[in-house]
Amino acid sequence: MIRHLFKLIWNRKRSNFLLITEIFFCFLVLFAVLSLIVYNVRNYNKPLGFEHENVWLLTMRPDTDSTALNRQTQEQIIQRAKGFQEIESMALTNSNAPFAFSQMNNDVSYGGKEVRANEYLVQDNFDQVMRMQVSHGRWFGQQDNASHHYPIVINKALQQQLFEGEDPLGKLLPRNDSSSYQVVGVVEHYRPSSEYTAEEPGFFNRIYLPRNESEFYGELLIRVKPGMGVEFEERMVKELSGIGKGWTMEVATLEKMRQNKEKMAKVPMIALAIICGFLILNVALGLFGVLWYNISRRNSEIGLRRAVGAASGQVYRQFIGEVLVLATFGLVLGVAFAIQFPLLQVFEVESTVYFIALGIAVGLIYLLAIGCAFYPSRQAAAIHPAIALHEE
Amino acid sequence: MITLKNIEKVYQTKTIETVALHNVNLHIPKGEFVSVMGPSGCGKSTLLNIIGLLDEPTNGIVEIDGSPISRYKDKELAHIRNQKIGFVFQSYHLINDLSVLDNVELPLLYRSGTSAAETRHLALTALEKVGLSARTKHYPTQLSGGQRQRVAIARALIGQPELILADEPTGNLDSVMGEEIMNILLNLNRQDGTTIVMVTHDENMAQKTGRLIRFFDGQQVSDAKTAAHEFQKV
Repeated sequence: MIRHLFKLIWNRKRSNFLLITEIFFCFLVLFAVLSLIVYNVRNYNKPLGFEHENVWLLTMRPDTDSTALNRQTQEQIIQRAKGFQEIESMALTNSNAPFAFSQMNNDVSYGGKEVRANEYLVQDNFDQVMRMQVSHGRWFGQQDNASHHYPIVINKALQQQLFEGEDPLGKLLPRNDSSSYQVVGVVEHYRPSSEYTAEEPGFFNRIYLPRNESEFYGELLIRVKPGMGVEFEERMVKELSGIGKGWTMEVATLEKMRQNKEKMAKVPMIALAIICGFLILNVALGLFGVLWYNISRRNSEIGLRRAVGAASGQVYRQFIGEVLVLATFGLVLGVAFAIQFPLLQVFEVESTVYFIALGIAVGLIYLLAIGCAFYPSRQAAAIHPAIALHEE
Repeated sequence: MITLKNIEKVYQTKTIETVALHNVNLHIPKGEFVSVMGPSGCGKSTLLNIIGLLDEPTNGIVEIDGSPISRYKDKELAHIRNQKIGFVFQSYHLINDLSVLDNVELPLLYRSGTSAAETRHLALTALEKVGLSARTKHYPTQLSGGQRQRVAIARALIGQPELILADEPTGNLDSVMGEEIMNILLNLNRQDGTTIVMVTHDENMAQKTGRLIRFFDGQQVSDAKTAAHEFQKV
């Protein structure tokens, strides 16, 4: 029977061309949207590599251009901040703090291999503020003060791309000047952009103020004790503003920043899903209409099939089967196109994401086809053979 | 083979009640070639549909090989149609998107236990029987009316049914082609012993069968052996 159905659909390929095309495009749109959703969901379920709860970001904007003066004032601000009982720990960072809309990257090379990686400039106790776990080696600290090299902690993604199977600890990576970075530790994960972003290669470079005399770091990450709210925030900003007179000080919780990033990731996803939903609804209505029309045109064929021995259930299954075969033709074209994405590693997305999206899209198209064919097929099965045979 | 007892068929709409058959009693033994005649609308096709298990009588009993079919479900009726009955229609009812061979194979698609090779062999044999073995790959639209009807007969034959129901099989054909089709049916009856019930408007064709039943206004008005009956016996 399956051979018969394929033969029937193939011989009717001209009249079924539009339906097959419709299914093909519907599959492609579904595949695209599902790839995006699967990509985001898979990233969402991966660990961020840090704890953002109860962490605030204090952004300080001085009113002068004098780095020396600004650093002096900043030192006083930090000393005062350390005096707050409500604060557990703090660390300066550059503008690409977790969930910030800022990025900084640098090329790092080792053994002839070069990788573009995100660079995060952070102070020694950043690991405590963000509660990060070093899986191999250590975090940088006072013991690196005398080192000729710049101590860095890399993430696993960078380790895999740059060192492959080699142990990265102690390895020197040349900087633009004559100095080098030295890998002192590895963290498993670090995804500061958003929960929906994939892990990218990155490394933490140490902010050691005596060495970075010409730099001013205006972002201070503060871990407060649980339960601290607006009241403490206002008090803290008021007191710190008293020290940095004329400075602009803003506090944002990382949770708030995370929510903003989440919205940015979700909005296009939801918009695309809605558009896709409408498209699928249109395709479904189109499919339903065409199937209904096709089946009503085939009354005499239905009558004939009943006459030669088809039970009503077999007629029903035949029409469902025909729609599945039709969908298969559309899907074969669609899958042949979509499979190029994982094969060619388009957008540098993991192949698994594409394969999962492809599988779900195929399943959904078959479900859609069955859903659309269900009622017309039932109607076809209910046609009285004696009446159908007299319709020509 | 087939017995109809007090068959009545009434088509009912909200406003009108139409009696298509009234008090029809009929017995068709195995191997008989019966023709049914009567004016349009007298219930001939309805009778054929009831004999062919495509329609149910409003009242009365239909027996096939002695067992009443009223207690059979749709699936069982379909099985009987597939195993025992072959249909030939005035308008051929061929599927235009399938080749001649595929059209002929159609009944065996619904019969389990027949392999693809066996089905092909049976289809070719049936086509040979009706003289169309050279047209297996043609499509119905590439054939003449007579050829299409021969395909339809081959399709009715493939399942080796005991009974063939032919609803005006020569109605759309010219006299030469009609004659050809009639000869095929006669041969089937005489050589293979297939029981045939044929509805026709053509008196000459009807006279070639062994028994002629006339209908008028849904009632059986005559049932008689024809001159050909004796010839059939010979």
